[in-house]
Amino acid sequence: MSDLISIKGGRDGLRMRFDDTADWPALLVQLEQQLTQNQAFFNGARLTLELGERSLDEIQLSELLNLLQHHGVVADALSANAREARNAARAVGITARPLPRYADPPPGTPSLAPESEALLLTRTVRSGQVLRHSGHITLIGDLNPGGELIAGGSVIVWGRLRGFVHAGALGNAEVVICALELSPTQLRIADQIATTPPRSNGPHVPEVARIEQHQIVVESWENYKR
Amino acid sequence: MARVITITSGKGGVGKTTTTANLGTALAMRGARVAVMDADIGLRNLDVVMGLENRIVYDLVDVVEGRARLRQALIKDKRLPELCLLPAAQTRDKDAVSPEQMVYLTNQLRTEFDFILIDSPAGIEGGFRNAIVGADEVIIVTTPEVSAVRDADRIVGLVEAAEKGTPSLIVNRIKPRLVNRGEMLSVEDVIELLAINLLGIVPDDEAIVTSTNRGEAAVYDQHSLAGRAFLNIARRLNGEEVPFLPLQDQPGVLERFFGIFGRRRT
Ligand SMILES: Nc1ncnc2c1ncn2[C@@H]1O[C@H](COP(=O)(O)OP(=O)(O)OP(=O)(O)O)[C@@H](O)[C@H]1O
Ligand SMILES: [Mg+2]
Repeated sequence: MSDLISIKGGRDGLRMRFDDTADWPALLVQLEQQLTQNQAFFNGARLTLELGERSLDEIQLSELLNLLQHHGVVADALSANAREARNAARAVGITARPLPRYADPPPGTPSLAPESEALLLTRTVRSGQVLRHSGHITLIGDLNPGGELIAGGSVIVWGRLRGFVHAGALGNAEVVICALELSPTQLRIADQIATTPPRSNGPHVPEVARIEQHQIVVESWENYKR
Repeated sequence: MARVITITSGKGGVGKTTTTANLGTALAMRGARVAVMDADIGLRNLDVVMGLENRIVYDLVDVVEGRARLRQALIKDKRLPELCLLPAAQTRDKDAVSPEQMVYLTNQLRTEFDFILIDSPAGIEGGFRNAIVGADEVIIVTTPEVSAVRDADRIVGLVEAAEKGTPSLIVNRIKPRLVNRGEMLSVEDVIELLAINLLGIVPDDEAIVTSTNRGEAAVYDQHSLAGRAFLNIARRLNGEEVPFLPLQDQPGVLERFFGIFGRRRT
């Protein structure tokens, strides 16, 4: 996401990783920018903060939580090596964990662009369930009305897509949304929004949605691949 | 081994209490020892539907708070000695009972009954969570309406997240004529969306209203289609394979319901 802050998604939710050594006020400034720019992605998110070796006191942590909350983000948990940071987490009432054994390298170390990382899920995403991932999302199963998939990259639904999908939610417009049956309540790609008219009950064909000239267009997979 | 089964829905007024009363009665008619528990604290009405309102002395909250022993609060059914009701408190709010207390209560009931059916309040808040916390299995009741099915879907997700397994489904108040005319969601539509196991289909039936007003379960009424549907559900709960009822002598309905049956079980 930036050189000092990186965001990753996984089966168990989003993780926000902060650079270990950068100046804390500078980090907060960058975070604020990122949250503002990517509001569509972050609003409503819950995540785990990953501090690495950095230590924070209770006041600094509260400041961070307030900033996140201001942008609609709730931090449920914090992982850190420093005891002080874990104590601060407990003091403000969020779960504190030691660093994961196979922690991600800190931001800034060369790694694949986060968007190229795909999350594969085999399940039904039901009403009220929201899945966020900074990369692509592939869902083998249905996305029911009231369910949401929000991805930094593309979204593929091998099933019926009847809920809400936002692809390219971190700003990338060069992404697609594909589904075996594309009957969404709403689609978004980057900053474009499309609501679809109710469809006939005829047989559905696999379709692809993408952006063409600042508009979301939908076409059948057969046409798209030509 | 006792089974604790919670009947819940998300949307209100879809038939949870009706289902609890009828399944409880049907299971007891078949010889099981059954306790039905009203977990809709503050809005109790399982007692009314079962015609036991006038016998209430103590309720669930009295037991939890130590004013009465469980045995004192349990009310025996009018006809079936093996059927008991644990009523909810009328005058307390939903926070009167904690999840731990609910688990404790259901565990106490387990020692004396074969089935414990819990009538859940509508919604997804604390009352609902209390109702499922002690359950081994969850049954979701829905009507064939888009909003009820949407809420049911939400509940399936919450039940799975609470590690209660995948719930099974009762579709209540089906009107075959409307379904045939394409004016009501079919059971197939509902199943297709929820993707969970179908336990029963209950038709919309005036006998439910009259039996509720008499305080007597519809399963006693030989002529009630809904009553027969509930009897069949009770048999399915006991592990029997019972085909779904033809709801009307209309061509089409039968095959459609058998169609689902075949697909779900094979
Ligand atoms: N199969 C049916 N046919 C006709 N009427 C029905 C049927 N099932 C339920 N009803 C009626 O619908 C109304 C609501 O039923 P019930 O009280 O069982 O729902 P509930 O889900 O328990 O409601 P609440 O969420 O308020 O607890 C009642 O008046 C009942 O008689
Ligand atoms: Mg009720």
